[in-house]
Amino acid sequence: MVNRAFRSTGYFIEYLALLLSILSVWTVMARQGHLNTIILPAPNSILETIIDLVADGALFTNMFISVSRVLQGYFLAALLGISLGILIGLSKHLDRITELIIQMIKPIPPIAWIPLVILWFGIGESGKVFLIFLGGFFTILINVVDGIHQTDPKLVEVSRSMETPFWKHIALMVIPGAAPNIFTGLRTGLSSCWMCVVAAELVSSTTGLGYLIMDARQFGQTDIVIVGMLTIGIVGKLMDSLLRFVEKKTLRWI
Amino acid sequence: MGKNAETALLKQEPYLVIDHVNKYFVQKKQRLNVLDDINFSMAKGEILCIVGASGCGKSTLLRAISGLDSNHGGQIIIDGKEVVAPSKTRGIVFQEHRLFPWLTVEQNVGYALTVIDKEEKKQLVQTYIELVGLKGFEKAYPKELSGGMSQRAGIARALVNKPEVLLLDEPFGALDAFTKIALQKELKRIQRKAGTTMVMVTHDIEEAVFLADHIIVLDSKPGRIKLELHVDLPVPRNRNSYEFLQVKKRIYEEFFQDEKLPEDYSI
Repeated sequence: MVNRAFRSTGYFIEYLALLLSILSVWTVMARQGHLNTIILPAPNSILETIIDLVADGALFTNMFISVSRVLQGYFLAALLGISLGILIGLSKHLDRITELIIQMIKPIPPIAWIPLVILWFGIGESGKVFLIFLGGFFTILINVVDGIHQTDPKLVEVSRSMETPFWKHIALMVIPGAAPNIFTGLRTGLSSCWMCVVAAELVSSTTGLGYLIMDARQFGQTDIVIVGMLTIGIVGKLMDSLLRFVEKKTLRWI
Repeated sequence: MGKNAETALLKQEPYLVIDHVNKYFVQKKQRLNVLDDINFSMAKGEILCIVGASGCGKSTLLRAISGLDSNHGGQIIIDGKEVVAPSKTRGIVFQEHRLFPWLTVEQNVGYALTVIDKEEKKQLVQTYIELVGLKGFEKAYPKELSGGMSQRAGIARALVNKPEVLLLDEPFGALDAFTKIALQKELKRIQRKAGTTMVMVTHDIEEAVFLADHIIVLDSKPGRIKLELHVDLPVPRNRNSYEFLQVKKRIYEEFFQDEKLPEDYSI
């Protein structure tokens, strides 16, 4: 027992070691005046900026706006990605019909869509949600299709031999069989949605974390830029951890 | 004819009929006969074992009976109806347990149940879990079960819908010798209790003699019936009794009849 506690403390130290070393080198260099604070402010001034931004509400307001945009686009991407993915995964015809166009659209990075999205939607909310949707949709779709293609044909045969009704077959055989891949799609989809929201806000927005960064850059507020970036990173990590947790709880059989 | 004789005759009416069944694959533009004119019939409530070496088409024949493969010549008739597609009335146990890894034992067993009433469904599932001796493992996932336990769960799943025929494709082939013998006994007990008609494919001669009322021995390439015999030994069967060994020897000789001892020349 003692041994195990000891070991897990060790793991935790390893987990944080690199981050803490970087922070300490950074602090020492700032203290000794080696850093130009316009280019890289000291860790303590970044901490002060965090406190200020939290106090005046700018950080959480913008974070909340970005997160809620992501959730809208992501929800659409997951809904359509999973349902279309199941249809394409089950039907060889649909697979062949859609394959070319999916393979062609998929490599276009969401950022390259931004000009077109602005022309179509203007700079309102719907354009951003659409962009986020694009960012997640293809990743999710492709993973779901793969997952269904990889289901064990022997298990499908069992379900068939029992004359399982269509919807029951989908719910108890097809979806759980593809679930590990569906979750992979959902996780990579979410992180790509999160990257898209920042990209969209950088270009055309007056709110959100992307805007916070871009706005601070114009006034040379390097500390705010860094705080904004850190927040983007931390929120992304938290969302991924949350999904991993849900995945672990859901895929108990693995 | 007396009434008794008449019912006796009716009982003898074949229940499952394999009528001129043929099947071939085309491989490298060559026609490869897998099943060559198979004909036999069996009575209701019998255990029939199809014995053959690997590649003799015995599993192909079983798949044809199940309806999973309908691409064959001839007819398969069960209870007067031709088999054209899979049906719930035929339960299948495969060589691998093929349990759904994402469902617990009780969910796996209840998968095909169409009973609506929840209480009744639960009761039925429980009955069959107990029948195969898996009480206490209702909530376990397949990854937590041993090979023998998984196969028991597979049998319960195939039996829960009260199939007219239970088809078994080398169900104990992957198990160790001890588990195998235990499960053979269990299967015989279950069959006597539920009265299910069973068709089992195996390459294990002893297994066939232990379980079967009726044995079909298949020849390889092309799969053709070599020998058909009824086993009238009393149940429970003693694997070491003289009669048992006689039947076993008879089948054994079908496979190895060509192997004469090389003549020993000496000067």
